[in-house]
This record gives sequence, C-alpha cells and structure tokens, in this order.
Amino acid sequence: MAKREISNDLRRFRFNNNEMTQQQLADEVGVSRQTIVAIEKGNYSPTLELAFRISIVFNTSIESIFKYEPKKK
Amino acid sequence: MSYREKESLINIFSGIIITAIFSWVVYQRQLSGTIDLTEDYSVWGTIFLIFMGVSIVARIIIYIIFHILNAIATREEDIPKEDERDKIIKLKSTRNSHYAFSFGLMLSFLALAIGMPVYGIFIAFIGCGLISEIVENVSQLYFYRKGV
Repeated sequence: MAKREISNDLRRFRFNNNEMTQQQLADEVGVSRQTIVAIEKGNYSPTLELAFRISIVFNTSIESIFKYEPKKK
Repeated sequence: MSYREKESLINIFSGIIITAIFSWVVYQRQLSGTIDLTEDYSVWGTIFLIFMGVSIVARIIIYIIFHILNAIATREEDIPKEDERDKIIKLKSTRNSHYAFSFGLMLSFLALAIGMPVYGIFIAFIGCGLISEIVENVSQLYFYRKGV
C-alpha cells in the first residue's frame, strides 16, 4: 500500500487530552477502536465527517490534527 | 485479530467446506445414477436452489457457533458496529469479488465455445461463486491488515 499523503497527530492529541484511550475516542466519534488504530498508523484516511468529529472532540481545527503533504513528483 | 478479520476467515473456510461437502454429495448421487447431470439440465436448477438453501442455513449455524466461541474467548458479547472504514473495505472487496466472478464466467464461456460440454458451465458457476467469495474475503483481510 502506497504511503499516504495525509498524516496525523492523533496520538499526541489523545495523550494531551488526559491520556484518552483509543476506545474512548472511538466511542466519542462513533467508530470502532480498530478504525482509530488504523488512522493513527496511517493505514486509513478518515472521511471529512469523521475528521470533523475528531477535531470537535479535541476542540481544535482539522488542520491541527491532520496534515496534507503532497508527494514530490 | 479483530472481529471482522476473524469473520472473513470463517467465511473463507465455511465457503470451502460447504461447497466441498455439497459437491461431494451431488457427485456421489451422479455416480450412483440417482441423478443425471450430463443430460438433464433441470436437475441443475434444483441443485442450485438446494445449494442456496443449505448454504444459508449452514452459514447461520456456523455464525452462531463462531459468535458464541468468540464471546467466550474475548468476553465481548456485542458484535462491533459497522463503521465507515468497514463499509469502504466491504465495497472494495465486493468490487474485487465481482471482477473475479466476471473473469471466471468469461473463461467458462470461452471453454464452452471451444467444445466444453454444456453442464460444464454449471460447474463453472459453482467454481466462480466459490472463488469470488474467497477473493472477497481475502481482499477484506488484506485491506484490514494493510490499510485502505
């Protein structure tokens, strides 16, 4: 699987938010823990809706959690 | 291993086992002369209908057993809710499954065109069905492991 152009800082945000567990975040945003694991590992890019829900949980903007890094041609 | 990955593995093995057992039973009947699959094509219709019924019932039983065993092993009674990632993986896997089925079907038509007996197309249907199911579940396992 090709390396993704979207990276994230989800783990750091969880840690800074009272060491929130993956399961707690998953319950808050309505997905499975495996999906949160996949996002953190960079194996899955969430939909815009899920990205918004995650940013609302951490009370921040999407851009501060998710970064878009275009591949160099 | 997540619940969905285990489910895919169960699907692969149950598909192979159910098809193998059913095919063996039908083949034994053909050998004993109870049915004639080479000349009487209406028998194939009956076989497909029975196969669908048997397959559905067998899978329900296998799922119940799997769920009970999984609940005992993991102490998680609830089936995980399907989220957006599960849906995308399912869609991509179904796409791969359809490609496999279409390819197999085209090959069987080709075989028919170069002289394969007509009943061979029915065998090809069953074979393509099994292979496409395996492709679907292997794809699911791949996407769950490697990402989507």
